[in-house]
Amino acid sequence: MRVCVTMESSGRKTTGVLDPTMYTASMTAAVVLIVLAACADLCDGVTVVDVYRLVQYDLAGVPFGSRIAYLNHHAASSLFSPGSGGGAGIGGNSVTADLSRTVLILPLRELNLALIREYIGQRKILGGLLFLLPSIFNPENIDYEDGADQNPAKDVSWDILVELEQLLIRANIPFPVYFAFEQDNINAVLVDVKRNDVSGQPATATTGGYKLVVAAPEPRKLGSPTITNIQGWLPGLKADGDSNQLPTIAIVASYDTFGASPALSVGSDSNGSGIIALLEIARLFSILYSNPRMRGRYNLLFGLTSGGPYNYNGTRKWLHRFDQRLRESIEYAICLNNIGSSGNELWVHVSKPPDNAYVKQMFEGISSVADELGLNVGLKHKKINISNSRVAWEHEQFSRLRVTAATLSELSFAPDLLERTGGLSDNRHVIDESSLVQRIKLIAESLARHIYSLDGKNINVFADNSSLAVNPSYVRSWLDLLSTTPRVAPFLSRNDPLIMALTKELTEHTVDVNVQHEVLDGLFTFYDSTSSKLHIYQVASVTFDLLLLLALGSYFIILFSFLVITTRGLDDLISIFRRPPSRKVKSA
Amino acid sequence: MTVFHFFNCAILTFGPHAVYYAATPLSEYDTLGTSIKAAIVYLVTALVKLVCLATFLKVSESDSFDPYQELLKALIGFVDVAGLYFALTQLTHRNISQNHKFQAVGLGWAFADSVLHRLAPLWVGARGLEFTWDYILQGLEANANLILSLSLAALGSLMWLRKNKPKTLIPIIYTCAGIVATMPSILSYLRQGLGWQLPKVIGFELFTSLAMASISWQLFAICQRPSS
Repeated sequence: MRVCVTMESSGRKTTGVLDPTMYTASMTAAVVLIVLAACADLCDGVTVVDVYRLVQYDLAGVPFGSRIAYLNHHAASSLFSPGSGGGAGIGGNSVTADLSRTVLILPLRELNLALIREYIGQRKILGGLLFLLPSIFNPENIDYEDGADQNPAKDVSWDILVELEQLLIRANIPFPVYFAFEQDNINAVLVDVKRNDVSGQPATATTGGYKLVVAAPEPRKLGSPTITNIQGWLPGLKADGDSNQLPTIAIVASYDTFGASPALSVGSDSNGSGIIALLEIARLFSILYSNPRMRGRYNLLFGLTSGGPYNYNGTRKWLHRFDQRLRESIEYAICLNNIGSSGNELWVHVSKPPDNAYVKQMFEGISSVADELGLNVGLKHKKINISNSRVAWEHEQFSRLRVTAATLSELSFAPDLLERTGGLSDNRHVIDESSLVQRIKLIAESLARHIYSLDGKNINVFADNSSLAVNPSYVRSWLDLLSTTPRVAPFLSRNDPLIMALTKELTEHTVDVNVQHEVLDGLFTFYDSTSSKLHIYQVASVTFDLLLLLALGSYFIILFSFLVITTRGLDDLISIFRRPPSRKVKSA
Repeated sequence: MTVFHFFNCAILTFGPHAVYYAATPLSEYDTLGTSIKAAIVYLVTALVKLVCLATFLKVSESDSFDPYQELLKALIGFVDVAGLYFALTQLTHRNISQNHKFQAVGLGWAFADSVLHRLAPLWVGARGLEFTWDYILQGLEANANLILSLSLAALGSLMWLRKNKPKTLIPIIYTCAGIVATMPSILSYLRQGLGWQLPKVIGFELFTSLAMASISWQLFAICQRPSS
């Protein structure tokens, strides 16, 4: 049926009304009518856009995020109705239009964050919010245009996005909030909507405009979300005659993310960089350990943990599964976090005091290698507070069980809960590949020097251009994969392809790979419905149809009179309207 | 609101037929049976045309104007004329004057055409949320089609039912009938060959239908004068 086929998101519609092939189609009208009546809903809409919903979660029973998914309202583009002046304040001022049945389309570039903050803070009701993000934030948009102008730190929209994200995930918003990326079709719609707004006609049911519809079902709770930890071993070589258990060095990274939009939280830096570093180090050391004569006197334990944004819940459960002896045999653990963006500064965060012998030894090992590579590594000490449930760094979970641990990160201060956990602004373009490669080299080299007791000797284990060099293509291919895979833990099933891929990769390089499934602690509850399709309809108003009805009525009256006059004569027309009175006269 | 729009477009498409029936003496002489028979003849004609199109026409890939295909379609369009001939001459009508006969046949013809070609798209499309002008244009086209059908029926009745025609007028009658009969091909040429937009095409159709209607009215009046 030609009518259905021609409705597409290209925006131009031509219905072949006069097309001769309509003869053919109409001949089966009886059967087709029934079928078409059923599929009438499917053929509607001028523009269809992918949209992603703001996260909806409960923290200890307190609701956060956007609580509604269904959207069906008219579109507007600003918080004010025209004529009220651009700078009018909101508080108590009734000049702003009634927006409770309007969806605001707000592009990120023109966002007035203070206004949004006020609006959300005062818990005003909107029909909905649709944020338009520049396409550079689209996880599917990974092209390699490396250049100074791509440096995210210099772009203001990055900062605005980070702030917006933090504002949205900590607010309880009783209307739907969606994110979409700028495309030609939706940009054209926005231009039209702005023009309508300027001309002083807010869109309602009687004045036409655009209608945005997201037919999403009611969000349901995700019951018992699973978090999955993956571990692998590289066993060392015992010296002959030595019956003691070998010490273990643990390398840990959490792999899941959290952000304002779970379908877009790819977390390239938090913690994609950590995952890649862990996998590359596992690969390099598996090459070293494959030769029995090259095995060091240390076991290496690699752990990919989940539940990172939620106070490193997964790490805690993973550690509790170990028995006491194993935990005591861990000499130290290095946790990797946020090591991918450009810059020369790195920090080693510890909970044990810096003058502790182990901490000193570990830090000196790292800094000596760092000096050779031209990196600056600093030491930061943050005491842990057992009574406070907030766990800011992964190593704190180790420290609570009295295992020496440190976190290597480019962040200099501890992030708050749900901060820097891989949100909307954390995508491929934040990563500097050469920086990441250099830091992987730093970690691997300092580990190797410690394992093989090479301190002081002038040996470069993972030298460039050797067979043990850090492989940039490996880094890049994993980066591309992780930058297009959202990894919010409650939405990852037990057999999610990502988890299978990580397990397979670890199996290739390590032995005794163990996948452990845990249940996320009941403090966090999540809801589904994270992405949908938005349909944008251009609608005419009721007044238009009323006018049309009026016009048709007058047309018919004129047509009727014309036909009566020409075929029966004017007297007949008059007699149609005069008959009742003449009968009355007669009877009287 | 959109069912409202559907209602508006529906009465624009089908209303004039009802108004025509009510306004002219057709309703007084109760010629509904004739109209219904004409409608049935139209359905059969459309079926025959469909079979011919399916058999002889090849499906073209591009949307351009292919003269040979269009010629073939025009020839098949003359099946329409044959159908009208059948409706006017072969069907047994009640005793109604020629004047009313052609009107009733034309009306039934146009009504069947509207229902077949325009009801389905209207039902599917006009009820949706999305607003376009297409359905209003389609209604206007239905109006133009009504006028054209009436003109064609008038000319047809002049050609086949009236025996004493002034000799000078016969070629004019036949040319006008030819123009009206080939109207669909002309319109498709305008749309695809010249690339006219839909509103323009429908405006042209309305204009020519009114012109043709006035010409055929004049012709009919002239031919009626000797006998009256």
